Amino acid sequence: MSFEPKIVGILCNWCSYAGADLAGTSRKKYAPNMRVVRVMCSGRVDPTFVLKAFQKGADGVLVCG
Amino acid sequence: MASVRSNKNIELMTYSEVSDVSGYVGNFKVQIKQKPRYVDISKCTGCGTCQEKCPIKADNEFDAGLGKRKAIYTPFPQAVPNVPVIDTTHCTFFLKSKCRACEKFCEAGAINYEQKEEIVEIEVGNIVVTTGFDSFEPSVIKQFGYGVYDNVVTGIQFERMSNASGPTDGKIVLKDGTAPKSVAILHCIGSRDENYHKYCSRVCCMYSLKFAHLLKEKIHGVTVYQLYIDMRCAGSGYEEFYERLQEEGVNFIRGKAGEITNLAESPEEQGKLMVIVEDTLIRRKLRLPVDMVVLSCALEPRADSERVARVFSLSRKADGFFLEKHPKLDPIATMTDGVFIAGCCQSPKDIPDTVAQASAAAARVLSMISKGSVEIESATAVVDEEHCAGCKVCIDLCSYKAITFDEEKKVSHINEALCKGCGTCVAACPSSAILGKHFTAEQIMSEIEGVLA
Repeated sequence: MSFEPKIVGILCNWCSYAGADLAGTSRKKYAPNMRVVRVMCSGRVDPTFVLKAFQKGADGVLVCG
Repeated sequence: MASVRSNKNIELMTYSEVSDVSGYVGNFKVQIKQKPRYVDISKCTGCGTCQEKCPIKADNEFDAGLGKRKAIYTPFPQAVPNVPVIDTTHCTFFLKSKCRACEKFCEAGAINYEQKEEIVEIEVGNIVVTTGFDSFEPSVIKQFGYGVYDNVVTGIQFERMSNASGPTDGKIVLKDGTAPKSVAILHCIGSRDENYHKYCSRVCCMYSLKFAHLLKEKIHGVTVYQLYIDMRCAGSGYEEFYERLQEEGVNFIRGKAGEITNLAESPEEQGKLMVIVEDTLIRRKLRLPVDMVVLSCALEPRADSERVARVFSLSRKADGFFLEKHPKLDPIATMTDGVFIAGCCQSPKDIPDTVAQASAAAARVLSMISKGSVEIESATAVVDEEHCAGCKVCIDLCSYKAITFDEEKKVSHINEALCKGCGTCVAACPSSAILGKHFTAEQIMSEIEGVLA
């Protein structure tokens, strides 16, 4: 079985989250390994969020904004 | 415009420019730069003597370079207010400190060369941005020969010619003053063209049809060609107008012209402009001999739209027009509360659509005024005054200038009307004294646990 990493994407509401939403409405696919957490701005991201994600078993964390 | 000016509830500021906007919905402070027109608006009677006496001539911008105006001028006869302006780049007084003819002949004593730029500040609750469009400059498309051949004109120039108060008194004429016997109207100049603008400018099909109609009406026996990619006549009565033009005997050729040249290949072509086009419906290359070519140019964002967007905190789309809040559900509002857009600054549109959008913007503003209060986002940040240490880290970080420092209590205070709930301050606060409503640390942590469960 190939490696399927679990990635937590912490996405800005205005750009990257809107982009993920647009991908949906445009019927485009993106990898299902990325699980999205919406924040109002990537400035909201506290380093503890990233540590929490790794602690809970994430293989990668994507902060977009 | 005249009734706008005479309405006592409307203050019309012409020859002015918004230089800065601060504040938020309901409480905007707008700085307006009033440029000096060197004519005292309260004294001028609009008699026009100064324009008659002024010895200097310059190209008339309103006539798209077809006519001349004086160095002191009103842009067009119906301009509101009917007060002229001195063009300092042409006026001899401003260039060489002599002449003063306008001052000498002005009976009202309205000329004032000493006028200075003034900054006025006003307070408003809502703003509607209606800055319009620029017309595409077709000389960059070399193969159409605009600026090279005399009788290749833009749609705006044709429009000015057909206007009764225009430079030719409403006659459609060639450079030599005679009426054209054949005219080609080329659609999609700079629009639907991936080298320039990919979008459709929406109004060109219909105004090109209008031009053909005017030509048929004004010049007996004229041959008119319409060179189109697709006819887009969507709108009330538009398709009917297209059919009527077909009945009037206009030649419709489906194809975009490749080149305009004056090189004749046969004696009949001598002295004509040759429009070379492939008629894609019969798959044949044509050479159309015509006297005049009209280029239906694209509508494009105004050259200063980037600056205007910055002043009013607007975003722009990939094509450069201002971005609406939602393309389908809210094409009037913008991401900045209290700032609305209408007309061609949002996207190319015709007059009925502009009127509809502008009326909607006015209605939105009125509903805000009559309600007397505004709804604000629920996801804002609040300071826990018990825990705030007063370090002021948050104040500089806030992009919306929503945080102020309460000197009495020595704590930060967030203005909820300005706060957009981004949460930058929440993450940055060393004492965790700021709560981001709906996005608290507990909520986000649980969400991370949830997505990994």
